[in-house]
Amino acid sequence: MRKLSDTSFVRKGYADVLAFNVGAIIIGLVISAMMLLFLKKNPIDVFGTAFGRIISDKYTLGEVMVKATPLVFTALAFAFTYKANLFNIGAQGQFYAGCIAAISLSLSLGGRIPGFILIPIVLIASFAAGAAVGSFIGFAKAKFNANEFLVSMMSTYVVQALMDFLLRTSLRETKAEYLQTDPINPAAYLPGILPGTRIHLGAVLAIAAAVGVWILLYKTSLGFRIRAVGNNPDAAEHSGIKAKRIFIISFAISGGLAGMAGLTEINGVQHMLLQNFNSSIGSFGIGIAILANGHPIGIIFASILFGFLNVVGTTMGRIPGLNIPASIIDLIQGIVMLCVIVSYFLRGHVMQQREKKLLMAKGGSV
Amino acid sequence: MQPPVVEICHVSKYFSKVIANSDVSFSVGKGEVVALLGENGAGKSTIMKILYGLYSAVEGEILIDGKTARIKNPKDAMSYGIAMIQQHFSLVFPHTVTENVILGNVHGWIRLEEHDRKVKAIADSYGFDIPVTAKVGSLAVGIQQKVEILKALYLNARILIMDEPTAVLTPQESETLMQFIKDFASRGNSVIFITHKMKEVMEVADRIVVMKAGKVAGIVDSRSTDEGELARMMMSSDLEPAVREDDTEAGSDVLSVENAVMTDRSGLRLLDGLSFTVHSGEIFGIAGVSGNGQDELCEAICGTSHLSSGSIRFMGRDITSESVRARIDAGIGYVPVDRHRDGMIGQMTLSENMLLKKSYGGEWVHHGFIRQKELDNYTADRIKQYQIKATGPDDSAHNLSGGNQQKVVLAREIDAGKHLVVFNQPTRGLDVGAVERIHHSILSEKREGKAVILVSTELSEIFALSDRIAIMYQGRIMGIYRNGELTTEEIGLLMAGVDYEKAQ
Amino acid sequence: MISILTRAIMMSTPLLLGSVAEVYAERTGMMVTAIEGIFLLGAWGGFVGTYMTGSLAVGMLVAIAAGVATAAVYAAITVLLKQQQIVTGTAINILAGGFCAYFQRVLFGIPTTPLQISILDRIPIPFLSSIPVIGPMLFNQNILTYFAYIVIPVSYIVLYRTSLGLAIRSAGENPEAADASGINVNRIRFLTVLAAGAMGGLAGSFYTIGYLGMFTTGIIGGRGWIAFAICFLGNWNPRGAMFGTLVFGLAEAVSIYLQSTGGIAVIPNEFVIALPYILTIILTIAKRNFAVPAKLGVPYIKES
Repeated sequence: MRKLSDTSFVRKGYADVLAFNVGAIIIGLVISAMMLLFLKKNPIDVFGTAFGRIISDKYTLGEVMVKATPLVFTALAFAFTYKANLFNIGAQGQFYAGCIAAISLSLSLGGRIPGFILIPIVLIASFAAGAAVGSFIGFAKAKFNANEFLVSMMSTYVVQALMDFLLRTSLRETKAEYLQTDPINPAAYLPGILPGTRIHLGAVLAIAAAVGVWILLYKTSLGFRIRAVGNNPDAAEHSGIKAKRIFIISFAISGGLAGMAGLTEINGVQHMLLQNFNSSIGSFGIGIAILANGHPIGIIFASILFGFLNVVGTTMGRIPGLNIPASIIDLIQGIVMLCVIVSYFLRGHVMQQREKKLLMAKGGSV
Repeated sequence: MQPPVVEICHVSKYFSKVIANSDVSFSVGKGEVVALLGENGAGKSTIMKILYGLYSAVEGEILIDGKTARIKNPKDAMSYGIAMIQQHFSLVFPHTVTENVILGNVHGWIRLEEHDRKVKAIADSYGFDIPVTAKVGSLAVGIQQKVEILKALYLNARILIMDEPTAVLTPQESETLMQFIKDFASRGNSVIFITHKMKEVMEVADRIVVMKAGKVAGIVDSRSTDEGELARMMMSSDLEPAVREDDTEAGSDVLSVENAVMTDRSGLRLLDGLSFTVHSGEIFGIAGVSGNGQDELCEAICGTSHLSSGSIRFMGRDITSESVRARIDAGIGYVPVDRHRDGMIGQMTLSENMLLKKSYGGEWVHHGFIRQKELDNYTADRIKQYQIKATGPDDSAHNLSGGNQQKVVLAREIDAGKHLVVFNQPTRGLDVGAVERIHHSILSEKREGKAVILVSTELSEIFALSDRIAIMYQGRIMGIYRNGELTTEEIGLLMAGVDYEKAQ
Repeated sequence: MISILTRAIMMSTPLLLGSVAEVYAERTGMMVTAIEGIFLLGAWGGFVGTYMTGSLAVGMLVAIAAGVATAAVYAAITVLLKQQQIVTGTAINILAGGFCAYFQRVLFGIPTTPLQISILDRIPIPFLSSIPVIGPMLFNQNILTYFAYIVIPVSYIVLYRTSLGLAIRSAGENPEAADASGINVNRIRFLTVLAAGAMGGLAGSFYTIGYLGMFTTGIIGGRGWIAFAICFLGNWNPRGAMFGTLVFGLAEAVSIYLQSTGGIAVIPNEFVIALPYILTIILTIAKRNFAVPAKLGVPYIKES
């Protein structure tokens, strides 16, 4: 048997991914739009109005980036372990851990020390808090061969319970009315970077994190080892790479990335912590990572898309007299994700057909 | 005249990247044993998988008893009385022998005891001694193969296809299998037997179909041919065989294994107190049927497994409990038996595969960052030197053919193994051309003055390259001899665990 | 005490149905990671069916249909299109949440008072229910719980004593061997996932029509994942699933009891809520030697 050395179609890989993804997203949006018919609303009108409002309003357009910011982190968290062939589906819990760290420090130190000192401290603390949860999962995997999928998933519920406990007790607002904290001192805010919008420094951090993850994975020897373990742990082990150590390291970094979303959301957007805070950014992170095929730079764009869909949904809900429920957001995002997954199959299928044709053309020359 | 039982007419098959069969035709008669002979990759297994319905042909047709047969899946094949025993057994390890035999052939309620009795009866009729209620995963390979045969017998198969059945057996076990094949055919059944071993072909086959590069190269009667003719038909080109130079003076000690013992979790001894020393400028061949501790020995030397007791000294230093990384740094190269699993990363580029063992330091890593340009240059250089057919350093390893993949692993390990290179079945599954080039590389390492350990199940390979030969059986070394001291038969006995000196 | 145990058995019901469904699917090699979504669709379908027709039986049928439909989407993508199971499940779970909430609005608009349905009655089994202690515990439950009692032995027998069970177990251990024996691996995987969808849908409906009498999008709240975990912890067999289920059912019953009584001062309420999840983590870590099906999560691709 002889394999063809002609791999020119592989070079076209990125263009293919892009074309199929964009196609899938459009089809997903069209199907989602159809759903509006069930509410007896004209999809074209509704989408048209919503798009128009977003584009014409700087603040609303800025919201796209605001919503995208934490998603970049949770998506990077999933993508990072995915490169080591591990599943961290507990980004939500690691995000909450980051939130707890961020709010605690911001409440206790906010206003006492200058923001340019406080913010880096909170950054490190939120990363460390997420990393602590992540390392626990990685450790359970490395030391006890525990199923990281299950452990990471369950850890979210545990961290959430811890957060609820703190919100009811030590972190609870002074007037003790709701299960939420006091607002933090404005000195602890992440500074806005674009007047007229809510876009804050966190957006820059998110993009920096994505680029940093890309460099780490593809340009450094540690990233190489992580990918080696992910692709073939046996070969890695034979090359003197300790897979177990890699498990812990990648889960720690992954958890840390998710934790950093705690900083951007507490200090950048909400300025307080409340119950069920951003309760679905963990699973959306997984969706975004899928959309981007796990590529850190692709994650930036996929997050912006999800942020956009989110704002579209919210804007629709605000169109007077229409009463479009906010749940349309989950519906659109779910449908788009499924379309993208199906497009992966189609892309693979098309590429296979192309190879076959190529072979048939060369047919007799074996 | 009675039509042949099986007739394969002009069958062709393409995979997405490979042409596997092209215009294959031959027939099999009642009570006949037909051997499909050819090098690895000649397309023997593919054509049989088409006959068995695992693959579908692109062109051509198959006749059974003279009538066109539509075989779309194994179930169709079975309805024609065709059964296939594949190279990799299709057994469900956690299930019992009986459950494996009746899989797919019972409907509704299962009365296990009744089936146990029935399966036992069939086993007895061919003289097989098989514990039918045991879990298949706990049985020896030879017994597992009998379970496979039992599955065919249970279905009253009259056309039995066997894919390289002796690859996993000792010469003595193979002998029993040959007896079974003759016995089975004499009861009016037909056997198609895939192999690349000419000796077996001459012994058991009535007719021989020789395949080469996906096509039928010739069909001959076994009584009117000889091994020389078959070899000429099989070989793709006349390559210059690697020639071992006359025995050279043994150099200094490079590796000494002392009383090595390795036990598995249940306490079974995988390595059972073996000792040997390998010198510089020497090829130390290790012969034996696979699964007799060779893999464990190699793993113990490269450090992925550790000895329960005993010691390993390398260049005068005790490395018994050192890590894989320390051993790589010390200059041990290792070409593992399963290169896809242990030796390379298919999804990564050739450059990245070259970096695999040097990610912790060395010339291509600088302050934790990869020096891509230097690495690519090195890889391009090796591609040229080893004549690796690839588009360049950033080609993915899985785009390469098996032989070229092995050359990538070889190039890396030969550079990594400054003092010792361990080759575990380096030519398994490769075509003749690649085998020759790899043999040349191994010999040139010896000339460089490195110590070489060559594990192989192919005696011809051991004879062609080794200075000294150790024979392994059940985790022990049955003896170490200079090349030429023993005949094939004597080594065969040692491989089967018979101490031939005592037997005489 | 008895009331806690009674409640434990009751709360075990959906977990048992869900985890047995998962056991079956995983034995064929298919992780049903859409289980959370299937539970939710089942809960919603049960509610809608009952609310619209006033019949609990119709509600259950709608729940089953909703579970099967969700499973069908999952199976189509994972079995036929061979896509990654965890990733596909995540997408479906997100979609399920949006779907239920959205169509709840489509069907019912914004109601001024919460929509309520009557729930399944407890059916005391004559004679048996009057046995002291275990009588009220085991034999004064609703129809779904009794169904779960039947599921335990039946699922065990089918899996280990029939040709269907043999085929299911083989498909997850060595699909190539199963295929070579004439078993259509992808078909059996597909159909088993559908069956799991039916069971999972029914399990989900327990939370609306067997327990709360209303629907909220947070009604499942990770219980599908608990069923998923029980399948792992129960070593992929119905008997193990039964024991696992009882442990989690008990934890949930205790949690509900403590919440209703205002909790115990020394143990924070949140800890009790987190207990089943902590338990899962501990058991996942502590348990070794899983009899995990060899090809769990691996699509079966036949070269042809």
